[in-house]
Amino acid sequence: MGNKGKIVMITLQTNVEDIVNDYPQAITYGIENGVSFVFCVGAFPTSLGDLLRIKKFADPNAFVKGLNEYLIKNPEK
Amino acid sequence: MKMPKPMDESYKLFIDGKWVNGKEGKTFKSFCPSNGELLAVCAEAGKEDVDKAVKAAWKAFETWKDVSPQERSGLLLKIADLIDANKEKLAMVETLDNGKPIRETMNVDVPLASDHFRYFAGVIRAEEGQAVMIDKDTLSIILREPIGVVGQIIPWNFPLLMAAWKIAPALAAGDTVVIKPSSATPLSLLEMAKLFEKVLPPGVVNVITGAGSTTGQYLLDHPDLRKLAFTGSTEVGYSIADAAAKKLIPATLELGGKSANIYFPDCPWKKAIEGVLMGILFNQGQVCCAGSRVFLHEDIYDKFLKETIAEFKKVKVGLPWEKDTTMGSQVNDAQLKKILAYVEVAKKEGATVACGGVKMTGKGTESGCFMTPSILSDVKAKMRVAQEEIFGPVVCFIKFKEEAEVIRMANDSEYGLGGAVWTKDINRAFRVARAIETGRMWVNNYNNLPAHAPFGGYKKSGIGRETHKMMLEHYTQKKNIFISLSEEKVGFY
Repeated sequence: MGNKGKIVMITLQTNVEDIVNDYPQAITYGIENGVSFVFCVGAFPTSLGDLLRIKKFADPNAFVKGLNEYLIKNPEK
Repeated sequence: MKMPKPMDESYKLFIDGKWVNGKEGKTFKSFCPSNGELLAVCAEAGKEDVDKAVKAAWKAFETWKDVSPQERSGLLLKIADLIDANKEKLAMVETLDNGKPIRETMNVDVPLASDHFRYFAGVIRAEEGQAVMIDKDTLSIILREPIGVVGQIIPWNFPLLMAAWKIAPALAAGDTVVIKPSSATPLSLLEMAKLFEKVLPPGVVNVITGAGSTTGQYLLDHPDLRKLAFTGSTEVGYSIADAAAKKLIPATLELGGKSANIYFPDCPWKKAIEGVLMGILFNQGQVCCAGSRVFLHEDIYDKFLKETIAEFKKVKVGLPWEKDTTMGSQVNDAQLKKILAYVEVAKKEGATVACGGVKMTGKGTESGCFMTPSILSDVKAKMRVAQEEIFGPVVCFIKFKEEAEVIRMANDSEYGLGGAVWTKDINRAFRVARAIETGRMWVNNYNNLPAHAPFGGYKKSGIGRETHKMMLEHYTQKKNIFISLSEEKVGFY
């Protein structure tokens, strides 16, 4: 499906399932930066903010900013 | 061999013994991860559907709780027989939906699933309460009683077997169930529900399908559940525990792992090497207790690594419905992306890709999510790839010198699910097995998961256990009947 033509703007409120469905390349960014979006029950079922809180991220906003920049630079092939 | 297609084109929800469309009319698709082909369209349960399922389960509970152990046992045995009678179909559906090879679904997933129903059919016939004389005039009786309606959520790595792990003990205990499979692999449970339909009263088992963020969340949020049971990741486990806490109900959680597979120089050599493959390549490494950290004594490190690489290269990765395939496809592209990203993390951390480390290409695997069997050598215990759950066929080789050192490194993990020690020295085997902080330690074997051995985690790997007759404790509550046998006044007032 990819993200062609979409304006990337992920926030802490964005559902992780939506991120994985719309921007699968975000999975790579997540792993590079210390968090997995997908697990053995599927994608994390609530918001990115919830996930980063569980993972005890010191600066969730910086993670989100970096993710949005990554997605602009790395559109899904 | 052309891909078979034994499943239906579409599936509805199984609620109150009937197959029904979702109230909102929403559906989702299930694809074969080995070639991307559409397998089936499934109904997505909305809030009203989940509510309907919970209500049906409560209605069924009113009579199911009083069905005698003899009769319940008989019904569980019938389910086991039906699973066996439909073994080929269930195995192939699972293989196509999940990507795991047919030799595994035929020899592990399906037979272990039927055995689970058979085991709990036996266990409840031998269950007894307790009675004690508190003093000569006072009798205390302890009886187990069912809890009520249980909400269960299971993962995509062993869809049929995890459903059996959840459903069999709950039914044996006299509970009724609303269960949700992962939306990545709903088909084998839906097929098993067709078998339940032939045996169980309506509403005893209800199967709802859909996404975790919608259907799963509606189930977690439902106020009328008496227990939650979940197998999945530690991260999602927090949400389940939170949902249970808000309702003040119990939850059993079987969560993630990063298990240590420890090898001493006196290990049974050939079997020990096979143990690495059993630990990390079984089910494409998508196992919560996968032996993903191999700790090797320095005296055998180089030889063991070299011979294990040779064995990894012999593994036939291919289309999972072909009988000679030993490793199939990862469950989906998202999982493959995650695994490949971890290989890159490993390289950046200074590990060496000793074999594999890339997506499998060729041999009919072009359209699927196939990973090569992979070994990362020169890994240090503190590296991220040695601490985080990769959930794929990627194993870390870590060198150690002393027994105390390897125990320390193995325990340096937030997880505590499984592990193994390989040695012919019984004293060392017992010492190390006791010292490792996990719920399961194998000695000179790996990934054996029979019904009658308890399985579950220490630390962040879970709460409670799965399998074994102790599951009846998780699915029942204790009733104490305290009887005075005297008619004399107490005399306190």
